[in-house]
Amino acid sequence: MITGTAITKTFKQRGNVLGKREVPALRGVDFAIPKGGAVSFIGESGCGKTTLGRIIAGLETYDSGEIVIDGTPMSSLTHRNRQPYYRRIQLIHQDPYSALNPTRTIHQTLEAPLRLRARQTGRSKSWVDVRAEELLDLVGIDPGYVLPRYPHQLSGGMRQRVVIARALTMDPEMLVADEAVSMIDVSLRLGILGLLRDLRERLGVSVLFITHDIATARYVGDEGELYVIYRGQVVERGPTETIIADPVHPYTQSLLSAIPVLHGLERPGAEQVVPTEALDEAQTDEGCLFSRRCPFSTSRCESERPVLGHDGGESGEATVQLHACFHPRRRSVIPQGVGA
Amino acid sequence: MTRDSAAPEVRIRDLTVVYKTPAGELPAVSGVSLTLNPGTITGVVGESGSGKSTLALSLLNAVQPPGRIAAGSVEIDGLGDVLHLGGEDLRRTRGRKVGYVFQAAQSSLNPLKTIGKQLLDLGRSHDVDDLRALVADAKALLARMGLDGARVLDSHQHELSGGMRQRVGIMLALVLNAQVVVLDEPTTALDMITQATILRIIREVHEERALTTLVITHDVGAVAEVADDLAVMYGGRVVEHGPITEVLGTPRHPYTQGLIRAIPRLSGDISLARALPGRPPTLGTLPVAGCVFRERCDKRMEICETVEPETVTHDGRTVACHAVGRPAPVKRREYA
Ligand SMILES: Nc1ncnc2c1ncn2[C@@H]1O[C@H](COP(=O)(O)OP(=O)(O)OP(=O)(O)O)[C@@H](O)[C@H]1O
Ligand SMILES: Nc1ncnc2c1ncn2[C@@H]1O[C@H](COP(=O)(O)OP(=O)(O)OP(=O)(O)O)[C@@H](O)[C@H]1O
Ligand code: SF4
Ligand code: SF4
Ligand SMILES: [Mg+2]
Ligand SMILES: [Mg+2]
Repeated sequence: MITGTAITKTFKQRGNVLGKREVPALRGVDFAIPKGGAVSFIGESGCGKTTLGRIIAGLETYDSGEIVIDGTPMSSLTHRNRQPYYRRIQLIHQDPYSALNPTRTIHQTLEAPLRLRARQTGRSKSWVDVRAEELLDLVGIDPGYVLPRYPHQLSGGMRQRVVIARALTMDPEMLVADEAVSMIDVSLRLGILGLLRDLRERLGVSVLFITHDIATARYVGDEGELYVIYRGQVVERGPTETIIADPVHPYTQSLLSAIPVLHGLERPGAEQVVPTEALDEAQTDEGCLFSRRCPFSTSRCESERPVLGHDGGESGEATVQLHACFHPRRRSVIPQGVGA
Repeated sequence: MTRDSAAPEVRIRDLTVVYKTPAGELPAVSGVSLTLNPGTITGVVGESGSGKSTLALSLLNAVQPPGRIAAGSVEIDGLGDVLHLGGEDLRRTRGRKVGYVFQAAQSSLNPLKTIGKQLLDLGRSHDVDDLRALVADAKALLARMGLDGARVLDSHQHELSGGMRQRVGIMLALVLNAQVVVLDEPTTALDMITQATILRIIREVHEERALTTLVITHDVGAVAEVADDLAVMYGGRVVEHGPITEVLGTPRHPYTQGLIRAIPRLSGDISLARALPGRPPTLGTLPVAGCVFRERCDKRMEICETVEPETVTHDGRTVACHAVGRPAPVKRREYA
């Protein structure tokens, strides 16, 4: 179990004409990823998904807040003593093309971390080759075919499976998959999603799934939780199926309304929510962060910032999910299948 | 659906494009025939390497070595066969008659010149008289796509995000009022909300100007929203083509069926979705005889090993598959 409380992170950019520019990437984010669970982060480009994922994987620092892994607050440990905790969290890179060293065969790619693992766990050298084959079997590719080959000789789907196998060499308890399927051919995506689901079920590995393609979040397995992030704030959070079928936050509704309808197979949802403006990074920070673009904004929204809670707001509806909105309301925005 | 008589028809016939490789010349586009109906948007979908960009380049006779157009014709109303154009005629056609954004558009802008300067260069090279009007048009197009036109025109490429560059590319494709527009992966670097906005604008401009438009993408969703017709490519062939709602609603080719079944969806039973087995072919692994899809096909038959399926048009829909073939006397299709 890994939890975070009030995580903040601001990037200070230099070299801008206006001198230093501050980019608040995360504004006090809480999260909880249970063992064997699946948590998905979604949101527009630049909302802070990758930053949060990297912080969770121990690859990025944060300004304030606390992260607790299996009951141990990370702030109580020295940098060195945190490493064993972070080793159990492995990041799967977005781009299966650049994640693998092109001059090494897959055998060489897997051998190096497995040797290290063998030393750490007091295993013999012969274990390394056995384990490499086991892991490739586990991720669903033929070891005999893949091991002697170089990355460029494999399809995108195979490469991403190799990247996952490499992450598994460290016996991780959690995988952070940042856009892990977006660069993979459509026909192969479900295969990788199924693999992640399988790893959860069979090994109890938890999965943090970062994506801008919301539909894929449904496929990483049951009892998943979805976090919708907007400009560094979690604006809606709850069971994946609930948030997708019954969103109450206008931002979530705009994201879902923007998903193309497969005409002929689907008809559009009954309601559509379209932001009144495009995302502008220089937008003010006053009031609700979405107020400038929100079609339902009121004067209260412009001066006050809603916090994440179950509050039914003025519509009075109780919600399963948490939301940060003064005027939450269910709207059915997603396309529905036609026919059987 | 607009069927404006002013919009040109584009007829691609028996087009074959080959690339020179260590293993000899191999076809990336193989005997493709495709008609873009005047005033419609045709979407082309297919996986990486299926030949989409090569097809797009052929519409402008712009295939570069080691590639070569080996056979076929591309007739555009009012222009004739663009594959026979050369030199000055070809240069004038590109941009002015056929607007385009190539897949690499993000890096094809000149890094040393502002976007505005490049716009003026483009105008001059096509003998545009009224450069002020051109700049005004460009700003208006950028504004529609949610950008501050004045700022963008004053910017260099590196000062714009990937999504902004993509919109600049679309602006440059439209600004000379070409009547045929080719957009190769126009929304790949964009997130959902921006993508939805751009697609809406492409549709609007297409209708206002009575264009004939080709949109190429690997993402079925991105074209489902804008296209009238859909062409599905696999291994350098167009394996299915027809009105988009029909192709998506009742796909006939086993590849189209598999592709649609593999799309993650927002509603419905997730266990119905399935990945296609196997992997997309590359130039080197394409079978030389028989059906190019057979290794991944669950309907393959003996004939598929040796005979390439013919392209058959029936009820306004085109399919190349032995299992679909002619209208069967016994109803044995299961499309549900
Ligand atoms: N190293 C950095 N230096 C300065 N700013 C940064 C840095 N990394 C991220 N940012 C900024 O922080 C914000 C959040 O970025 P992040 O990469 O987490 O977004 P994201 O949600 O993953 O977006 P995308 O969907 O485009 O991957 C952005 O405004 C980004 O420009
Ligand atoms: N310059 C080149 N030299 C050799 N082969 C090439 C060249 N350009 C493309 N090819 C090959 O031709 C085939 C078709 O490529 P093309 O770029 O048209 O595919 P695509 O459908 O646009 O793919 P993507 O979705 O990745 O853009 C591929 O197998 C590709 O490797
Ligand atoms: S708080 Fe107000 S501005 Fe913010 S999302 Fe809710 S209705 Fe819109
Ligand atoms: S021709 Fe044969 S192998 Fe090819 S798609 Fe049709 S049934 Fe399948
Ligand atoms: Mg990211
Ligand atoms: Mg391409």
